[in-house]
Amino acid sequence: MPKLTIDGQAIEVPAGTTILQACLQRGREIPHYCYHEGLSIAGNCRICLIEVEKQPKLVIGCYTPVAEGMVVHTDSDKVKQARAAVMEFLLINHPLDCPICDQAGECRLQEYAVEYGDGTSRYTEPKLALSKAIDIGPHVTLDQERCIQCSRCIRFCDEITKTGELGFFQRGERSQIGIFPGKRLDNPYSGNVVDLCPVGALTLNEFRFKTRVWYLANTATICAGCARGCNVVVGVGKQQTLMTTRGQLDDRVKRIVPRVNEEVNGWWICDEGRLSYEHEQKAPRLEAARVAGKETAYDDAVKAAATKLAAAAKAGALGVIVSPRLVSEDVFAWKSVVSALGGGAFGVRSLLRGEDDTLLIRADKGANAQGAAWILGAGATERAVREAVAQGRVKTLLILGDPLDAGDSAIVEAPAGSGPEVVYCGPFASPSAARASVAVPCASWSEADGTYVNFEGRAQRVRRCHLPQGEARPGWRVAADLAEAAGAAATGWSSAAEVLAALGRAIKEFEGISFEAMGLLGLKAPVAAGV
Amino acid sequence: MLGAEFEKRVDALVARYPKPKGALLPVLWEVQRAKGWIDFDAEAWVAARLGLAPAHVHGCVTFYTMYKPRPMGKYHIQVCTTLSCMLRGSDELFAHLQRKLGIGSGETTPDGKFSLVRVECLGSCGTAPMFQLNDDFHENLTLETVDRLLESLP
Amino acid sequence: MERILTRNVDKENAQHLAVYESVGGYQALRKALSSMTPDALTDEVKKSGLRGRGGAGFSAGLKWSFMPKEVDPKRPHYFLINADESEPGTFKDRLLMEKDPHLVLEGSLLGAFAIRASVIYIYIRGEFVHAARVLDRAIAEAYAKGYAGKNILGSAWSCDVYVHRGAGAYICGEETALMSSLEGDRGYPRLKPPFPAQSGVWGCPTTINNVETVANVPFIVERGADWFLSVGKAPKNTGPKLYCLSGHVKRPGVYEAPMGLPLHELIYELGGGMLHDDRPLKAVIPGGSSVPVLRADECEVDLDFDSLAAKGTMLGSAGLMVMDSSTCMVAAMARIAHFYHHESCGQCTPCREGCGWLERVLQRIEGGRGMPQDLDLLLSVSNNIIGNTICALGDAAAMPAISFVTKFRDEFQHHVDAKACLTGTVALQGVR
Repeated sequence: MPKLTIDGQAIEVPAGTTILQACLQRGREIPHYCYHEGLSIAGNCRICLIEVEKQPKLVIGCYTPVAEGMVVHTDSDKVKQARAAVMEFLLINHPLDCPICDQAGECRLQEYAVEYGDGTSRYTEPKLALSKAIDIGPHVTLDQERCIQCSRCIRFCDEITKTGELGFFQRGERSQIGIFPGKRLDNPYSGNVVDLCPVGALTLNEFRFKTRVWYLANTATICAGCARGCNVVVGVGKQQTLMTTRGQLDDRVKRIVPRVNEEVNGWWICDEGRLSYEHEQKAPRLEAARVAGKETAYDDAVKAAATKLAAAAKAGALGVIVSPRLVSEDVFAWKSVVSALGGGAFGVRSLLRGEDDTLLIRADKGANAQGAAWILGAGATERAVREAVAQGRVKTLLILGDPLDAGDSAIVEAPAGSGPEVVYCGPFASPSAARASVAVPCASWSEADGTYVNFEGRAQRVRRCHLPQGEARPGWRVAADLAEAAGAAATGWSSAAEVLAALGRAIKEFEGISFEAMGLLGLKAPVAAGV
Repeated sequence: MLGAEFEKRVDALVARYPKPKGALLPVLWEVQRAKGWIDFDAEAWVAARLGLAPAHVHGCVTFYTMYKPRPMGKYHIQVCTTLSCMLRGSDELFAHLQRKLGIGSGETTPDGKFSLVRVECLGSCGTAPMFQLNDDFHENLTLETVDRLLESLP
Repeated sequence: MERILTRNVDKENAQHLAVYESVGGYQALRKALSSMTPDALTDEVKKSGLRGRGGAGFSAGLKWSFMPKEVDPKRPHYFLINADESEPGTFKDRLLMEKDPHLVLEGSLLGAFAIRASVIYIYIRGEFVHAARVLDRAIAEAYAKGYAGKNILGSAWSCDVYVHRGAGAYICGEETALMSSLEGDRGYPRLKPPFPAQSGVWGCPTTINNVETVANVPFIVERGADWFLSVGKAPKNTGPKLYCLSGHVKRPGVYEAPMGLPLHELIYELGGGMLHDDRPLKAVIPGGSSVPVLRADECEVDLDFDSLAAKGTMLGSAGLMVMDSSTCMVAAMARIAHFYHHESCGQCTPCREGCGWLERVLQRIEGGRGMPQDLDLLLSVSNNIIGNTICALGDAAAMPAISFVTKFRDEFQHHVDAKACLTGTVALQGVR
């Protein structure tokens, strides 16, 4: 492994590492725009120029591999001069859009200008004028003037999605990102170019002008869109000064962006996952518990539900349909509670749609389908439960999590007086909730901590991003309350972590899984089996 | 798109390169020779024929200044104005053409006969001032020889 | 003086194979294929001291020696002839291609043999339509006679030759941009390493040489490296040279002389002297517009690589642009700046933004709208470009700017302060 010196510090790194990588790995920032870990090296922005002794010119850190005995200076006067020069060049034609640009607050042009720039402009000529706010795809808007021609977006579409929608048109100073007339940037991963763009040239339509990024409270969690379990950061509003008309803090999810996990999603997320929060936001929420359609106090509703479920369980006529988006803690809690009540037939909904693609998207839209299967067994299928309902063996159906849709005529739209009795415990005011004799609000995906297991058996930590709406509680909490209301033994659970610990003791695949152990990047389970 | 003969010529060009993309510039020349300019339909055809993204083809058409993304005049006059030609009167020559034809750089006369453009060094500095008219160089120009040349064109 | 490179250019029908053969053409190719190994040929060229005639002046034989000595069947070798001749002031390659295409072909085939190439692409600028046609005809003749194609002259070596036309981009004369363009991309220069001999076009070992460079090779083969060393100034500035003379002289044109011709001789003897007898020499750019300018009092110099380097400029492409006393140096520099602004590929920040900035400031100064800080600004912007770009185009824009502003500062200052021109030329208003 080559030994070299960077800014006086001796280090040793594997051969093939570039100087930039060696610095970034050690937490030392060298400014860079066009370099991106997940893409080929372009070397065109020139902001990463650094000094290597014995070289006649400054070299770009992103492309220069380390060598034995190399002596590198990342902060010498020559380097400072070059960085200031490149910053000045980048800014001479750049429009002063900061007041109206989404990127403000997370813009590397702003950051490096403050850090490395001269602070004044010597440019007194007219700036180049290009087209702004160009609609190039269902999710992406292009501003050609803001572009610094780093080519990340082009490389993404060429190398990752291999769809090639974007290109440079014209030449020289007039180079501009563009799309072929009639074509759209509509591959399933189009939103990633917005993350990649270091400036505000590419913006996400669903986020444009929504909020300033410094008004976001960010939480690292896992996408609920499919069984891949892409690692994400969810940003919710924390805008104290801007209240809704009801005087409430608007802490809804404003955006989802990917975070890096080379074992799961690399640096990317699909558009559907990126916008999956809309699913939660557009569906009406069940904010208060309901009994026989009437708003009821939480405790009374829980008691009512407990009575019905206990009776059905004892009679051996209880069926449970579980959404594969439920966190493992909820699934385990319900399994334990139903078991304590006398047992029931569990079935996990199958959310297979389309096909796996060659990148991230899984046909299985159940983010925790694997976790649910480990807890309930592979034979716990929705079909088996439906058959039992159809044959009249199941007379009370507990629907957990995602509701059944209108159109589910056998159950939700069954003629009055026929079909099973429904108890719904989930987040949405849906046809299931309306049909249910008891509906108890539960926290949605972004409102509670928990554990998802992806299709490869990686256990990953889902985190609460904001408080549950209305009377909603985490699903395991509702289950525990229900058990107590039914007179069963107290679970003693007071946190998701405790449920997870109990889960780990009961189901061997979850042994050794804890929130600390999963951390930010998850843990490949089963841990105990040494796989 | 432009007939079987055209496609045979394209095939022959593609055969010269280990990868079809290598034939892009020659194929674009063939298109321009056949159609006079390169429109978006032609770009899409070339992209499909060579297995390229249309954006890539358009990126090349707009990078290389000799490809015409819109029709130019029957006689496309490209006047060299770089230093050696400037020293020998190219600016006066260009101004003369501007006045005579009534158009500026990048423009075409209303009857479609002439288009005029300033270009960079054409590698004919020893015979400056000069211009390229379609494929041909016209060198050692004077205002008189230019006038006679233009009058002679059908 | 014996004409070597230009011996055929005035002959009637010299483009035809029969005429070329009648003066001994393709004897060198015969000799090499029958009695030399590729490496021996490379050694001979290296020994001759032949330096690249495209602008960089790198030893041709040394460049050839970088190629792998064995051909991996999955990675054929390519020989690219750089006929993109777009450096302002340069028009020598065009002369050779139009008037003696077989000389260029024979030189190319010899080079291809030396580097074990199986394909030659002649990348010719799109504007040279006539030259491309002449080359195509010559190539057809060469194939018919067995000088190109399969088993050349009955040897085991096969090599195809194709003309590949560019379409209007000076940057494609830069060897890595040429490769990008040949592959069907925008003409963007590439990061180095890898160098072309390791991985060039289509990831294969590649060598790129200028037209005039390869035109020397048949003579080196026929007459030997020692002969080449006896022409010009051994050891490092050898061989015959084509000089392109343009601007304010009576007889502009291409002149051949042994390397090291004195600049005064080129202008005043071969070139017939200044265009107007009452307008003396003011400045010369000796090597195409990318090199620093020489004031009249700096023109006592031999035109070879090392002598010009010692004067702080370069031989480059040997495109000599002569300016007399009527020339406004501000206008000249503004025109040069426009060229680089127009030709910048736009890939990297300093050149993309800096070339436009330089032109705009110079246009203001030319038009009488200069500001006091402009001259130092030009120097500063130029220095911020130099050394910070992917390729040399940025340097090529910046170095002339620095040399003009430094050596003719009084003229620039006068434009700024007095809003008038010392040469008496009316300052142009407005922007092009």
